[in-house]
Amino acid sequence: MGSIRVLLLAGVIAGFAGGAALAAGSGGGGGMSLPSESGPSYDPAEEYAKALAALDARDFKAAARSAQRVTDAVPQNLDGWKLLGAAQTGAENWKGARRAYERAIKIAPDDLNARGGLGMALARLKDPKARDQLDWLKARSASCGAGCNAELLRSLTAELERALAEPTAPSARLDQPLILADAGDAAYLDAVGLINEGRYEVALARLDAARAAFGPHPDVLTYQGFAHRKLGRFEVAEGFYRQALAAAPDHRGALEYYGELKVERGDLVGARRMLARLERACTYGCAEAETLRSWIDAGGGPGR
Amino acid sequence: MDRRRRRARALSRIRSAIGLTLALTASGALASDTPTPLRAMAWLAPGADLAAALGRQPTECLLKPDDPALARSIEIGRAAFRDPLLLGGQAARAGLSCESCHAGGRDNPHFRFPGLSAGSGTADVTTSLFSRVRGNGVLDPKPIPNLAGPRAALKTPVTALPAFIRGLVVEEFDGAEPPAAVLKGLSDYVSALDPAACPSARDEPVSLAGHLADVRRALAAAATAIDPQTAERMVGAARAALFRIDERYQALPAETRALRAAARRLAALQAAARTGAPGLDQGIEIWLTDSQSLERRLAAREAQSLYVPAHLTRLRRDRP
Repeated sequence: MGSIRVLLLAGVIAGFAGGAALAAGSGGGGGMSLPSESGPSYDPAEEYAKALAALDARDFKAAARSAQRVTDAVPQNLDGWKLLGAAQTGAENWKGARRAYERAIKIAPDDLNARGGLGMALARLKDPKARDQLDWLKARSASCGAGCNAELLRSLTAELERALAEPTAPSARLDQPLILADAGDAAYLDAVGLINEGRYEVALARLDAARAAFGPHPDVLTYQGFAHRKLGRFEVAEGFYRQALAAAPDHRGALEYYGELKVERGDLVGARRMLARLERACTYGCAEAETLRSWIDAGGGPGR
Repeated sequence: MDRRRRRARALSRIRSAIGLTLALTASGALASDTPTPLRAMAWLAPGADLAAALGRQPTECLLKPDDPALARSIEIGRAAFRDPLLLGGQAARAGLSCESCHAGGRDNPHFRFPGLSAGSGTADVTTSLFSRVRGNGVLDPKPIPNLAGPRAALKTPVTALPAFIRGLVVEEFDGAEPPAAVLKGLSDYVSALDPAACPSARDEPVSLAGHLADVRRALAAAATAIDPQTAERMVGAARAALFRIDERYQALPAETRALRAAARRLAALQAAARTGAPGLDQGIEIWLTDSQSLERRLAAREAQSLYVPAHLTRLRRDRP
């Protein structure tokens, strides 16, 4: 159980209070329809919150079920895989934990907690590849400079060394607090203001904290896409917009900003497609559609 | 209530208020038996009396000028004042309009926006949450002024109103440059708010009739607009007014379907107005004629709608 603290991204998970994040996915059933049409659907942000709550209650199987729904809905979401890894670790399903962390590392090769989590799972499986993760962490510690989380690296390294030496030993990190006060809310609000001030890199760091707290919430993902786009990282931005739309297909902000990205790339046909979706979603009109329309009409954003 | 739930509710309000969530509209399906919050609940203080805050509104203190041109301009301003799309950025996305803070053209003692207010009836208008240029990095909310109060209490003289309002729309709320007639209309509307014109009653019920009148008045303003940009904005304001009816009928699916069909026809009129296509007047007239049956239908079900204060008190306090 102690490793849960490690795997739950100590210092990154900004709170377990995701709570009721979004509208519940509509449960289904009954009526004359195909199972695929009437089966339950899940809101990934809500499932993320459920998984966190289940972890908090140490109901690891329930946590894994919810986390699995997150990764099913948003397979490119790093946090979902890390959460699944943590839940499987708690359930002592080491193979499941290994698979989840491997997927996380595929998305984010430099994620410290995913590396630590994978190392821990491999150690419990007595797989010698656990040493590769330890070596990776040590190398990262050796080159840890500005912006590098040295404390986290130290604790992950120590935890993994301990697991390798004694795979069944309890974790020394058992008693660390899981809940860090109110950081998720504050991070989200900060990020909105920072984006308006054009401080995109700082905003991204705050959005990371918000995302860790609330999971693949389309609002957070949309802002991550927005900030990356403003920094000229169009492909990264597109990935976040797609994740947001996978979580909420009619998300107005994601449709608007993805449409703007398409305008910036010169893809006016694609932008108009986004606008058409927005117009369908905005029966009574909305700022998102108006803004995207003005981008399309002008062939670019304000100032062009 | 435990700490986690309180935090979750607080976050829910913040996200709702900031306006990116849109989960309900994304599904396009409003539950027929589980009331969901009205949009304005996103900027109410926790524990606010919903029947008082959403079931009643201040009466409007609006002078009625003899000059028909001025009267038309005031109507344009009145519609724009109630249209969230006048503002830009996060405010528009949250659904905030001028009227959100200045209900009935006065003030709003219930207004409390997360991250923007220190107490009910206050707002920080120099925040980066809403503005790319006016954020000062300090939470310094001020009491929302009553626009229909004594003139001497307002800092901006009438002659400076056009520039002041433009700065508010474009800089304070990141809105697009409004058409000149809309800007003049807003200035004329605010100038026409006068304590001498206040009805004897300080407030009145929020009603279907009042919201339907907002729709009709916005469309009348569209029909008299002298330029396509203003006409387009006025039809947009009518659509926004129709939304305020829709959310009150959320438990009545047949009525909301009819409202949305009417809104889609208005969207088509707005698209035509955007291009300056002729025949807007006729289109509006036909829409108004056709909508009479909808109005009767809505009136017949008003007792089941969220215009009834007793139903308002059943609303869940948070957006799901």
